[in-house]
Amino acid sequence: MTVLSLLTLLFVVALSSFTSATSDYHESLYLQPLPQSSLLASFNFRGNESQESFDERHFRYFPRALGQILQHANTKELHLRFTTGRWDAESWGPRPWNGSKEGGTGVELWAWIDAPNDEAASAKWITLTQSLSGLFCASLNFIDSTRTTRPVASFELMGDHPASSNLHLLHGTLPGEVVCTENLTPFLKLLPCKGKAGVSSLLDGHKLFDASWQSMSVDVSPVCPQPGECYVHVDQTVDIVLDIDRSKRPRGNPIPRPVPSDQLACDTSKPYHSDDTCYPLESTSEKGWSLTEIFGRTLSGACPLTDNASQEPVCLRVPHEREVIVTPGAVETKRPDGFTRCFTLKPSTPFDLTIPEQEVTTHVPLDEPVLSAERTIVGHGQERGGMRIIFDNPSDSNSVDFIYFETLPWFLRPYVHTLQASITGRDGLRQQVPASQFIRESFYRPAIDRERGTQLELAMTIPPASTVTLTYDFEKAILRYTEYPPDANRGFNVAPAVIKLDAANGQNHPIYIRTTSLLLPLPTPDFSMPYNVIILTSTVVALAFGSIFNLLVRRFVTAEEASALTAQTLKGRLGGKIVALRDRIKGKTAKKE
Amino acid sequence: MGVDHRKAAVFGGALALRLLLSVLFPSLPDLLTGRVEVSTPVTSFKRLQEGLFLYMRNVSPYDGGVFHQAPLLLPLFSLLPNAQSHPLPTALFYSMIDLVNANALVAISDSGQAVSGRFYSALRKHIRWDGVSIAAWFLFNPFTIATCLGRSTGVFTTTGILYAFSSAVTGNSLNAMLSLGLASYLSIYPALLFIPLVLLCYDQRVQKTKVSTGTLPFALQHFAVFLACILGLLGISTLLIGDFYTFISATYGFQLLVPDLTPNVGLWWYFFIEIFDSFREFFLGVFWLHLAAYMGGLTVRLRRQPLFVLTSLLGIFAIFKPYPSISDASLYFALLPLYRHLFPLMRYTFFAISALLYATLLGPAFYHLWIYAGSGNANFFYAITLVWSLGLSILLADTIFAALRDEWEYDNPELRGKEVRQV
Repeated sequence: MTVLSLLTLLFVVALSSFTSATSDYHESLYLQPLPQSSLLASFNFRGNESQESFDERHFRYFPRALGQILQHANTKELHLRFTTGRWDAESWGPRPWNGSKEGGTGVELWAWIDAPNDEAASAKWITLTQSLSGLFCASLNFIDSTRTTRPVASFELMGDHPASSNLHLLHGTLPGEVVCTENLTPFLKLLPCKGKAGVSSLLDGHKLFDASWQSMSVDVSPVCPQPGECYVHVDQTVDIVLDIDRSKRPRGNPIPRPVPSDQLACDTSKPYHSDDTCYPLESTSEKGWSLTEIFGRTLSGACPLTDNASQEPVCLRVPHEREVIVTPGAVETKRPDGFTRCFTLKPSTPFDLTIPEQEVTTHVPLDEPVLSAERTIVGHGQERGGMRIIFDNPSDSNSVDFIYFETLPWFLRPYVHTLQASITGRDGLRQQVPASQFIRESFYRPAIDRERGTQLELAMTIPPASTVTLTYDFEKAILRYTEYPPDANRGFNVAPAVIKLDAANGQNHPIYIRTTSLLLPLPTPDFSMPYNVIILTSTVVALAFGSIFNLLVRRFVTAEEASALTAQTLKGRLGGKIVALRDRIKGKTAKKE
Repeated sequence: MGVDHRKAAVFGGALALRLLLSVLFPSLPDLLTGRVEVSTPVTSFKRLQEGLFLYMRNVSPYDGGVFHQAPLLLPLFSLLPNAQSHPLPTALFYSMIDLVNANALVAISDSGQAVSGRFYSALRKHIRWDGVSIAAWFLFNPFTIATCLGRSTGVFTTTGILYAFSSAVTGNSLNAMLSLGLASYLSIYPALLFIPLVLLCYDQRVQKTKVSTGTLPFALQHFAVFLACILGLLGISTLLIGDFYTFISATYGFQLLVPDLTPNVGLWWYFFIEIFDSFREFFLGVFWLHLAAYMGGLTVRLRRQPLFVLTSLLGIFAIFKPYPSISDASLYFALLPLYRHLFPLMRYTFFAISALLYATLLGPAFYHLWIYAGSGNANFFYAITLVWSLGLSILLADTIFAALRDEWEYDNPELRGKEVRQV
């Protein structure tokens, strides 16, 4: 039996809509229970606008607010990501959309800007970040030159662009940005149904940002199915992994309570099992849940603006043997792959979906990730440290080619000459080898203090069944006291590394993997005493200056001469005057007598 | 012959000690390279290696925030084998540089310029150490050894300065200018030594040839040589690097504007971390002006002892330059014993030496408390740098007092040994 993974399915649907959908709107929701009582919910909203109407500022399905910003900033292709949490690839398998709709922790933005030269592109980029910052209520305006890079090989154009355009790719990250409801609200406002109807009506900030992992994306790119017939395509996704148990807690009473003792499932085979001791049994059945429990609301019917071509906006990926109860009126279609079923929605009729707890024999198969990557800061102390990147190729036969891209803030000064590699095979033996054995090509742009960050792009190959570790040393700079954030001792966020794997299994879109973001503690000065430092340093300077110039400008005399000279000082002379005056007065009184 | 044996023993011993230390403790050089007291952003060997790595791969090392050293060091070090895999050749090279420096010191001492010059001869000139003792004092100074093992590129500036002095005292004024040009090319501040050095050369010329030509033409002539040397070196550097503006702003611009506030033993770093942004440029100007101000005052007042002015200026640089390290202090300490005859006239030696020892011992401890243990904050290390600077400035002021007192006694032999005051 051939198993179509969810990802492939997502892609097939996405691609078919690329070609068939014209000036229309389409939305979908995929639900898939994941191991460890998690649930992946993948929302997708796609809108098209013909290039002519876009240029004439006639917006139907394309959000006007975004369209105007893009026109103003000469941006031809835009990719914006808001991500929190970490995708647990070991238990959850490959990422949704092959990681292409996902960003690093925080906010990630990259765009192709049409500009005659680099300076003009940078100016437009600043315009773009400032405008998007206002639109999405995010600190995108903090993407300045130190956080902006121009990746060489890590990103590629999604859309079809005229050959005459002079496109500049700019990429910026805000790893420390906290994504929250204030970013979701403007995101929903971009949708034609504004979260009032359709699958977007399920999106609630309280549940969304309570997820183990969530990623929102906005992609805008021009698509030309035929020459001369072009569309501006906007693709918005929200992917979340919810903890089923956590989401099912009632909103008014979210504190987990212990299970009453009569409802506990105990392992009675344990010798200590008695009325008051219980070893809880691991539940073997699949968790039961419903849309209302998980999202806190029902799906309020289909969005009336969706085109009729796609009638099954909600799809669920569970084995066919599982029982699924849906609101009456919704039609279920089971796909032949044995795992997927889709549902139609009726306009303005609430839709709910309930899966009771059930023992099942078949499980949805999860693909193994092609590559797993991990990046950590090693070393101790606030002076220097090291970066360690571990790539693991699980395949026993195929080597993996990829582009590794990382940007480092300028206050982290890497020493590339210390780049070392080691390889560990499946036998566990660690071997030090030259890094050039894995690095086919490299692009390195060192940082300039307060001007730009480090950009490192490596084209690498990892041999099959092996783990490769790259390490390099870095030094932590000490900043001016005004450059530290208010929580200076928390540390600084370092953006996640982006790994682009070349398209595999006939797909024409690359796979993206992002590492977690890092926290870099820097040495801190004492923020409480700028005045003291200025005073103390100035005192030492003045002491040296004073004592040396005092020696230089005065002349030497013997101690006797010195005392003779002091007699001629103001005090001495005044003393003499007083004595003389006293003598005169005395003399006068003596005369009278 | 006896002296030669001693010299050979001292030099051989110093070389053996350095090589032995780097062979017996292979991690010691890297440890010292990482110490902020030894390596500053403008002399760090690790940064040099990074620059070299980029240079060898045809990436401009100056288009980045790490490498700020003179371009000519790059081809020089690219001749040496990789210091990571073959540390011994580099250790040997640095040890040889130390010996060369010591050799220059011997020449300076043997010339006797420190005790008697054109206008002036010290009264206590019998109290002095010979050249080999001074070389031994320099070579076995722990600061010098640490600098050598830490492979700070500041030693090349030291070589330039010491060779400028030794050429000047032996009457080779052209070489003196060329050496000073090299030192100024490597790290900008030795250019401040130009005027006293020209005076020293001039005094030597007059003493030797007994013909006193005008000072001004002599100075202008030598300034031209000095300038030509620097321009020549810059020209070669431009040929090497290509982009003149980038490397000038990455090297000299960096030293002048002090953007990197990595801790060091000096006074600038913490001051410029804590200074309010609106006053940054103003105080940058004040600090540089302050550093340059001593040159004029000392040169005018101690016109009769230009070598002493040079020595004192080196002491001032060790305290007040933007990125000082113990290598600068070791250079000052190397030249101080030339003035052994002044030691009896000094007043606060105990206090100064105690302060320096205190700072030397507690500095690394407090740095550890701040950076690694986390039980102290930046003020701990800052306080130690204050004590270090204070100790050095007391020592400096005291030697200047002794030199002035000695001059005064020379002028007034009848008042010798009397209690004096300054008015």
